[in-house]
Amino acid sequence: MRLGIDVGGTFTDLILYDDENKRLFRAKTPSTPADQSIGVANGVKEICALAKIDPSRIQLVLHGTTVATNAVLEGKGARVGLLVTEGFEYTLHLAKSWTPGPLFGWIVMDKPEPLASLEDTRGIPERLNARGDIIKALDKEAATKLIDELCTSGIEALTISLMHSYANNTHEQVLKQIVAERHPHIPVSLSSDILPEFREYDRAITTVMNDYVRPIMQRYLSRIEGRMADANVKSHLHIVRSDGGLMSAKAAAARPVHTVLSGPAGGVTAVADIAKKTKRPKLLGFDMGGTSTDVTVIIDGEPTITRSTEVGYFPAKVPTLDVRTVGAGGGSIAYASELTKSLRVGPRSAGAVPGPVCYQRGGKEITVSDANAVLGYLPPRLLGGEMALDLESAHHFMEQLGTQIGRSLEETACGVIDIANEVMLGALRVITVQRGLDPRDFGLVAFGGAGPIHGNAIAALLGCFPVIVPPNPGVLSALGFLHADFKNEFVKTFIRSTANLVTSEIWSEFEALNASALKWLGDEGIAPDQQQIKFAVDMRYEQQGFEVSVDITSSLIAEKRFTDIVEIFHAKHDQLYGVRLPVPVEIIALRVVAIGTTPEISPSVANAESTASHALIETLPGYFGGAWVDIPHYDRNLLSVGEKISGPCIIRQYDTTTVVLDAHWAEVDQFRNILIWPTSAGEK
Amino acid sequence: MNQIHVDSITLDIIENALKNARFEMDEVVRRISLSPVIREQHDEFPMICNNRGQMVVGQFGSYIPGVLQKFGDDLNEGDVFIWNDPYASKGSISHNNDWCVMLPIFHNNILVGFSSIFGHMIDVGGKVPGSMPADARSIWEEGLRVPPVKIYEAGKLNQAVLDIMLNNSRTPEMNRSDMMALIAGCKAAETRVRALCDRFGVQLYLRSCDLLLERTRSAMQVLIHKYIPEEPVSFTDYVDDDGRGNGPFKLTLSIYRKGDIAVFDWTGTDDQAEGPINFLIHEGLCKLFFGVYMIMAFDPDTLFNEGFYDLFEIVLPEGSLLNPRFPAALGNRLNTHTRFFDCQAGALGQRAPHLSMAAGYGTSPHFIFTGLDKNGAYFQVMELLFGGVPGRPRGDGLDGHAWWPLFSATPIEYIENYYPVIVERYRPIQDSGGPGLHRGGCGIEKVYRVLEPGEISIHDDREIVAPWGINGGKCGGTSSKHILRNGATANERLPSKLDNFAVKLGDKIIFKTAGAGGWGDPLQRPAATVVRDVRNGLVSAAQARSAYGVEIDGNGRLLTKQTEALRKEIEKTRGVVPKFDFGVIPLKVTQ
Repeated sequence: MRLGIDVGGTFTDLILYDDENKRLFRAKTPSTPADQSIGVANGVKEICALAKIDPSRIQLVLHGTTVATNAVLEGKGARVGLLVTEGFEYTLHLAKSWTPGPLFGWIVMDKPEPLASLEDTRGIPERLNARGDIIKALDKEAATKLIDELCTSGIEALTISLMHSYANNTHEQVLKQIVAERHPHIPVSLSSDILPEFREYDRAITTVMNDYVRPIMQRYLSRIEGRMADANVKSHLHIVRSDGGLMSAKAAAARPVHTVLSGPAGGVTAVADIAKKTKRPKLLGFDMGGTSTDVTVIIDGEPTITRSTEVGYFPAKVPTLDVRTVGAGGGSIAYASELTKSLRVGPRSAGAVPGPVCYQRGGKEITVSDANAVLGYLPPRLLGGEMALDLESAHHFMEQLGTQIGRSLEETACGVIDIANEVMLGALRVITVQRGLDPRDFGLVAFGGAGPIHGNAIAALLGCFPVIVPPNPGVLSALGFLHADFKNEFVKTFIRSTANLVTSEIWSEFEALNASALKWLGDEGIAPDQQQIKFAVDMRYEQQGFEVSVDITSSLIAEKRFTDIVEIFHAKHDQLYGVRLPVPVEIIALRVVAIGTTPEISPSVANAESTASHALIETLPGYFGGAWVDIPHYDRNLLSVGEKISGPCIIRQYDTTTVVLDAHWAEVDQFRNILIWPTSAGEK
Repeated sequence: MNQIHVDSITLDIIENALKNARFEMDEVVRRISLSPVIREQHDEFPMICNNRGQMVVGQFGSYIPGVLQKFGDDLNEGDVFIWNDPYASKGSISHNNDWCVMLPIFHNNILVGFSSIFGHMIDVGGKVPGSMPADARSIWEEGLRVPPVKIYEAGKLNQAVLDIMLNNSRTPEMNRSDMMALIAGCKAAETRVRALCDRFGVQLYLRSCDLLLERTRSAMQVLIHKYIPEEPVSFTDYVDDDGRGNGPFKLTLSIYRKGDIAVFDWTGTDDQAEGPINFLIHEGLCKLFFGVYMIMAFDPDTLFNEGFYDLFEIVLPEGSLLNPRFPAALGNRLNTHTRFFDCQAGALGQRAPHLSMAAGYGTSPHFIFTGLDKNGAYFQVMELLFGGVPGRPRGDGLDGHAWWPLFSATPIEYIENYYPVIVERYRPIQDSGGPGLHRGGCGIEKVYRVLEPGEISIHDDREIVAPWGINGGKCGGTSSKHILRNGATANERLPSKLDNFAVKLGDKIIFKTAGAGGWGDPLQRPAATVVRDVRNGLVSAAQARSAYGVEIDGNGRLLTKQTEALRKEIEKTRGVVPKFDFGVIPLKVTQ
């Protein structure tokens, strides 16, 4: 029995998988933002009741959390003290000196306070050079004084981030020892430990972010573990990392910065699983929620991992599933620009409260969801009938917006949707065409509350078919957690030109990293047949500012084929950016990833024996192809495997609605996914 | 004529698509380029134009028609143009370091537009490393000049031209790669524009480009009527010197409205300089600068393009600092360029509080260090530094941040990994932020210790004439440079414009940039905020007292009563607060 838990802003989603009987259960309970663990505990009770099992039978609890992200975005983290090398106290304050574009971008820049304030920052007399040599000895006495004063000033956690500590961590370790002896209650993060890579600002901010969210994460995890124990759940809690791997709750408490993209990771992992099952190795994930849309790309059935992400204004250099987020979702607000009278959508969102106009929670600004309601793309009642839509108000406000831009009601509503689609399309282009990938080679998995409504239109623009709407699009993230593997990454910053490189150094470094990886797998209790090790080298052309991570096979290392590795880099750079450069290549870092795989999820599919006519709920007007037509609304649960229906039509289910456009048709595949195809492509 | 109808929503979609394409150009260039000046400091500027060469999206305005003149109809698919001569390209770029790449975009053999990017090459030859001699008297000293030529002709590389260009640079491989990056960026735009033509049809796409130009134009018309008065408003600011001992140089701008047209008249600006601070500005660019400034201040989401060009009239007196005659030296034009913006802010800000920004650090300070390392290999460190960002209506200016868009500081650990220098200190300069309700940003102090003998070059300004404050805000701190010789106990002062100055192992260069002026009355600044600035080392207790009227005790705590009394006292005795605070402007010595 595996339990996946995804805590969202409005709902907590749970998925329980019974490995023995291959059965899947799902539950949705209201989230409890003040203390999320209450909602989680309620959900656990509910789902166990539904599955008629005792909570003690759950073997694995897999949890994706947005606690860390929200703490940063809302500025509600801990008070963090920071020790840096003397002379560099203002590293976070100066924040790389960046101001936004275009020209005069600073006029409108709002810069948030650093995650560790200047008042809580101290400069330590010491200095290393780039090779890690000590060029100024650590003044222990002075350091102790500064530490005593800072650690008694009310800070809740302490970051130590010294110049070039990635090359030599001795000074950071000595300082940590001093703190441990004199102020044992203060948790400490070392930059050489959290991010042993060069670039002082990125290393410092990432480590500070770790401390900033750590106390909150620790409190959260201990509350959840407590409530789980109360509910008689015996299994350990595992947290999903930003790169889709799993870490123990204990590891998450020590390195919470690795969870900043824990939430979206579930969706990505689930899309990768769909890719494997449906044997469609190239898929785009399109997760459209209320305030934002996350898009991702799956190639060869695997998600892409990047080395850095941003949490609000701040960069976080941690391995992360490559998810791109744009500020367009069902709740994005549409408005007319005063100056140019052009229609704009987002990034401002109506959120859960007041929400879209048609939700009747006091919203008075048109949102994307209102446009969908006005055009007849939503059923009259949402959430299985619990929530009635107020179409009249939506009409009223849509007309007002139309008057401002001189368009009819329908034109305005279509415009709102088209512009929101264009914003989301921008993000999809960034992850495909901009990387030399042709979107027409991909299918599109549409999920999240609003994904299946827009998926068909997006696919029509980008030419990526089929659109795949999985059976549980509203809880796909929680499902994805069940697919997550145990994962940890071991890195060595290793800046060398390949021109006069002693390659034996590389092989011995890889050997050491490999040993650490194997030890970790053993410590986590991963069975040998579930252990996997992956190797990568970060490379770039000499003096470029950005590395390309090149995956290499263990045989390349075993056979010490270094020139082949360099060639792989050239080819990848060419594929990514369309050029090979005639300059020397340099290595920046060596990476080893340890993976403990988890068993596959393959729920048995109960087939509804039905035909489209049985599934038809009612016929309602909808605006398709520039005219109002009467279109069928189907009940998804009554559509059987292999069944084909033609667009335009609406397919309803508990937590979302799928829109099939005119000139398209849909079928239900053996996994009960809905696949949408253009009529022009044949069949039906 | 039968005009194609484009509904406003399709137009919005095309606008978004073009904006995305323009950001994609940036990203492609940034990823590939080797030069930190392009990559970390974003000294590259892309644009996409319609088939008449008018910029539809971008930020520096189009120069394409002028460049194309000499080629007539000889324009083919696969052509890529390149140039770097400001004079031969009518000021499209303003010094030889900027290599500009441009290609025509065809869709099924029909010309549908152009994409273009220029970027700063780290070296283009000439008498000093970096190619911007601080004391040049003509452009002949500033490196190889390439007039507009086809570097690719119908897809075929013109190897001879490239060989000549690279043979004249101290950093040929870097320039080659950076040029490839610029071309890759233009190609990305080509792909996007073609896809739009596929999707919407060529005629509709082209018509949309026109409509986007018109839409920005009508927005600008509203702004002009609202904020540009018929009666002229003038403003004067100064560049310290021209690197040859002449100066300060005056720039004077008068702005007024003539019916629908906004006139920007630079009459009164000093004659061109002997040294390289002359700014050869393309008239279109000049218009765009005004337009972008107003758009940013009022509705930053409006698309920048040159649709509003006919709403501006520009007067640039011939032979002046802003319209120099060939072969005036141009390398160090950035000082004048920035002062151009300062005048713009000063003049527009007098009538519209939205537009009233103070002055910033006022140039793009450079530090260059060259020499041979222990293996006899040539090295060239080139860094841009930052300073105080102006106090502004929205809040404080930023300390040690980039006035220029999207620039960011090269990591110190990067510099120390690749070059023989150690940075000893990097921090904002106390009291250099101009006092104000919204404080101006502080300048930066960066101390380099060199680990090899070699030569340094420095470019900076605002050493003499301080960045001014506005609406009661005070001026910010000036810049300065010093060297502390290995073993010496006292600093020696260095000028702000300096080339090929010999340094020895262990010497320290202390580079201090200017701060920025404050915005609004410093007596109105919340006392707690002033106390915090003092605690953070950004403002001294002495300045807190003298400029802000805030009294602080020995433990850094606010003395509320004394502060109230002091503020009342200052208010009573200070007299009328002027709109601008310039600090002390020295008398002009030469010309």
